[in-house]
Amino acid sequence: MAAGLLLRVSGRLLAGAAAGAGLRLRLSTAPSRDKKRWLRAYLEQQRLEAPPQRRSEKPNWDYHAEIQAFSHRLHENFSLDLLKTAFVNSCYIESEEAKRRELGVDQETVALNLQDNSKLAEQGTSFSRSYLRQCFEGAYPDLPAEGIGALVDFLTSQELVSYVAQNLSIQDLTLCREFPVPPEVLQRTFFAVIGALLNSSGPEKTGIFVRDFFIPQLIGKDLFEIWEVVNPMGLLVEELTKRNMSSPEPRITRQLGVSTVLPLYFVGLYCDKKIIAEGPGETLLAAEEEAARVALRKLYGYTENRRPWDYSKPKQGLAAEKALSSN
Amino acid sequence: RYVRQLQRLQLLFSPTSADARGARQFVEEAALDFARRHPDVVLYVRPRAGLAPVLVAEYLNGTVREELIASKTSEEIVQLATKLAGQSGLDIIRIRKPFHTDNPSIQGQWHPLTNKPSALTVQGPRLQPQ
Repeated sequence: MAAGLLLRVSGRLLAGAAAGAGLRLRLSTAPSRDKKRWLRAYLEQQRLEAPPQRRSEKPNWDYHAEIQAFSHRLHENFSLDLLKTAFVNSCYIESEEAKRRELGVDQETVALNLQDNSKLAEQGTSFSRSYLRQCFEGAYPDLPAEGIGALVDFLTSQELVSYVAQNLSIQDLTLCREFPVPPEVLQRTFFAVIGALLNSSGPEKTGIFVRDFFIPQLIGKDLFEIWEVVNPMGLLVEELTKRNMSSPEPRITRQLGVSTVLPLYFVGLYCDKKIIAEGPGETLLAAEEEAARVALRKLYGYTENRRPWDYSKPKQGLAAEKALSSN
Repeated sequence: RYVRQLQRLQLLFSPTSADARGARQFVEEAALDFARRHPDVVLYVRPRAGLAPVLVAEYLNGTVREELIASKTSEEIVQLATKLAGQSGLDIIRIRKPFHTDNPSIQGQWHPLTNKPSALTVQGPRLQPQ
């Protein structure tokens, strides 16, 4: 590029000298040989349109160091072999064997000594589910089994677990055939990591780990966003009969704008002339349903103003339950 | 629990150029200490010729931040690295409101029906049974 500049400058000097000396003007409009104007924009566009690539295929990647950093980041002592096994997925093993067969490498000389993470994933899933179930049974004793089941299903659902896993850099460390890693693989890998932790550090530490990473996902969520209840009024009547209280009578407490397009009704539910809940709604039926939901939230103790989750003490009495669940 | 959001730091510098002197001194003196103090950050040190010395920080949410370390001393690089290690990967943009509260209202937010009497007689100190 410097040579090109020099050529241009000398060209102009020559032209100036020639014009000064004679009357010949030689304008050099031949294209210069340096980089084109559009090149930078083109390279930027190529960079943006390039398909996403695994971090392990980009420069500066050390798998062993990354795994050690992963265990330090989570403040847990993993046994590194178990952790490395936890990241290996079956699709990866199949793809590697297929590649080796294609390359014609002998199976016995270069055997893949990699184990699957399916066993660890099962252990992790069953442990987390039973642990979360016990946590909720302890914290919300009035919540029925379907409610607790719905909460546990929500916390171990694919989207939530894959979201948590992605933000813990598990996507970079998984060995999988496809990229970007599909959410079910992320979920399986995360549970396999929990299984690896269970086998390395024992059930108590794993319980604390599960509590620290799953339970904060419930912050700000309402019970009936997670647990779909079709007939809240029927459920409420059942709950009240279980507690030997009379069935609720709905009454309109307040109403606003009845004859307009957007009416607002507040329906209160009364048991023995005492109010148990009040809920708003656009129509009377909607308001009654909402009042039933508010009453259920109060009965189950899952209101918005309940005490926040207690993260201080580790849960005791879990060891026996873990033995039961793993058997 | 606290999970450090910085995943890895890549230190790319030239082995001969003058503005990478601080980076070279950092690698010789302070890089090992930094790595020991932050065991959850992977520090990659790669000499490459011809380009400006740069510190690339990658965070858990995928953000990649490049910081020029040309003509910086070793201590300044240590400070910069500790600052990056304490940040989260959220974009550094203007914060629109300097306050946030999780409990916007203690006794309940006012709505047009808050202090209006209801249609039924509700138990209260004012309403006497007749």
